[in-house]
Amino acid sequence: MTLIRRNLAGALVLGIPFLWIALFMLLPYGIIVTYSFWIKTYPTFKPAFQFGNYLTLFTDPQYLQVMLRTLKIALLVSLCSFLLAYPFAFYLVFRCKSAALRTWLYMAVIAPLWVSYLLRAYVWKTILGTEGILNSFLMSVGIIDQPSDIFLYNQFAMVVTLTYIFIPFMVMPIYTALEKIPHNLTEASADLGMGPWRSFWHVTLPLSLPGVAAGFTLTFCLSFGDFVAPFLVGGPDGNLMANVIATQFGAALNWPLGSALAIVMLVVVLSIVSMSDRLERKGAAGGV
Amino acid sequence: MTRNTLTTAGVLLALSTGTALAGDTINVLTWEGYSDPSFISKFEEQSGCKVNATYVGSNDDFAPKLMAGGGVYDLITPSIDTTKLMIDLDFVEPLDTAKIDNWDKIYPKFLGLDGIQKDGAYYGMPYVWGAIAFMYLDSAFTTPPTSIADLWNPELKGKISLWDDKSSIYVAARKNGDMNIYDLSDDQIAAAQAALLEQKPLVRKYWATAGELVDLYKAGEVVISNTWAGYQSGLLAAEGVKVTEFIPTEGAEGWMDSWMVVKGTPNTECAYKFLNMQLSELGQCGVANVNGYSVANPVAAKACMSPEQYAALHQEDPAYLDSLLVWQPLGDRFEAYTNAWNAVKAQ
Repeated sequence: MTLIRRNLAGALVLGIPFLWIALFMLLPYGIIVTYSFWIKTYPTFKPAFQFGNYLTLFTDPQYLQVMLRTLKIALLVSLCSFLLAYPFAFYLVFRCKSAALRTWLYMAVIAPLWVSYLLRAYVWKTILGTEGILNSFLMSVGIIDQPSDIFLYNQFAMVVTLTYIFIPFMVMPIYTALEKIPHNLTEASADLGMGPWRSFWHVTLPLSLPGVAAGFTLTFCLSFGDFVAPFLVGGPDGNLMANVIATQFGAALNWPLGSALAIVMLVVVLSIVSMSDRLERKGAAGGV
Repeated sequence: MTRNTLTTAGVLLALSTGTALAGDTINVLTWEGYSDPSFISKFEEQSGCKVNATYVGSNDDFAPKLMAGGGVYDLITPSIDTTKLMIDLDFVEPLDTAKIDNWDKIYPKFLGLDGIQKDGAYYGMPYVWGAIAFMYLDSAFTTPPTSIADLWNPELKGKISLWDDKSSIYVAARKNGDMNIYDLSDDQIAAAQAALLEQKPLVRKYWATAGELVDLYKAGEVVISNTWAGYQSGLLAAEGVKVTEFIPTEGAEGWMDSWMVVKGTPNTECAYKFLNMQLSELGQCGVANVNGYSVANPVAAKACMSPEQYAALHQEDPAYLDSLLVWQPLGDRFEAYTNAWNAVKAQ
């Protein structure tokens, strides 16, 4: 009786999450994969097994172009986030003497996550616009005398917005990685005659790499799949993969092609995740 | 897959029966304003039918929403370039025009359109119409623009906006002198695509929703664009932004939205009451006052509009209506058009 009850409890604890994953993740993936082999025929599409959709993706230059642009934007966002987040996290962990101040600064970075993503992206329109806050400021201090339209509706605006939105995902893992590094290691390095820069380069940075890899992966994948920034602050040259997929499912009513695009995107993201996973494990094993 | 669809259908069926039992409620999937409380509340009082409205942002929303699950919506209002698709997808049912009082008052031009008929039966009830006009900011021009070519003027670099829709191909084709915009050859589409690519560096933003275009003018980002005649200019006027609509020398597209009854609706009685109301003075002036669109029943319009509004909406101006290149279903050419437009945006 007790045994049965325990088994039942075990089955529930494990079974419900498994069912959830099967129902809401594996099944949809399966559906998307299936669709990607179907064929578009007016008015909709019909079941088939053919590689025409994938072929289109690699032969029609428009898809490659958008893919490269999306990779570029995602890389730039990850890089900008890294350049801003690393020094900040470093300061918090090693230089900030007051624990209270450290908590406050850390929370200041995390807090925007509690505000709707859409709202945060939208706000950048009012900052970067022709009659926006940035232009008013630059004009009031006399740097420019005409409002400039170079800040909004282009790829620059997209990178700024996405960096702002996703930077907490870079700060958090780097902060955690740096925090885990025992202070006596840098002290030992200094005792052995290393200057602060060389200690950083040979001790701190390698030990924090798993955090950097995790941050890169998170920010890269999040911006790689972004749909809203191109819509809100992107310009005519701002179409990203997610927008193209949305068009195929909506306007073009070509779910098979949209599914093939989604699968290609999934493969890209999964390869990045597995690469970063390998890097993290290598870091954890101390083999960098 | 199949089981999944069945389960979904089952759940939706249960939901829709639930609402049907709860009273006579009709669910409409429509454009903002077409089911506005300013006139719908009166209908609800008079008919005892409750109306639930869900809004679409684009004609592309109808098919995916109906594909995702039948049995939710009773009535839809796609535009005349999308109505045929709804019929071909088997999403809508033929109308019993005998049950619609003002049917014969509708402009004959609309009743002659292929997009709302199949095998001698009507599937759509013409409701409102208008032009895809062009619009400019008064303060930005000393000589008012008159041509589509003005949207290719390098002096307006960074101040131009164009609707993010296959309609942009229609615009570019007319600029190229190809007036058969719904029947373009592959070469003509390629030429339109090239023209749009040439224009692209001048474009500030392709607008996707009415609200977005209004914001672009309000924030001083753009000074010229195409527009849904009457709608965005009305919203801008309310904000104190002075814009003027114009029909370019190359002509303008016309659109017309029709009410269609979703196949298998359990609420037929309320659906027809609703259709009758929408084609009567209550519905026709109701929507004209909210959205600033012209309406399909000129008799009702004459009765409920002021002479000024009646004239401003071109209700007694057959020449105006005839001058519009009313949207047509593109059928299997649809893909060529959307693909060309997507290629422009991808560059």
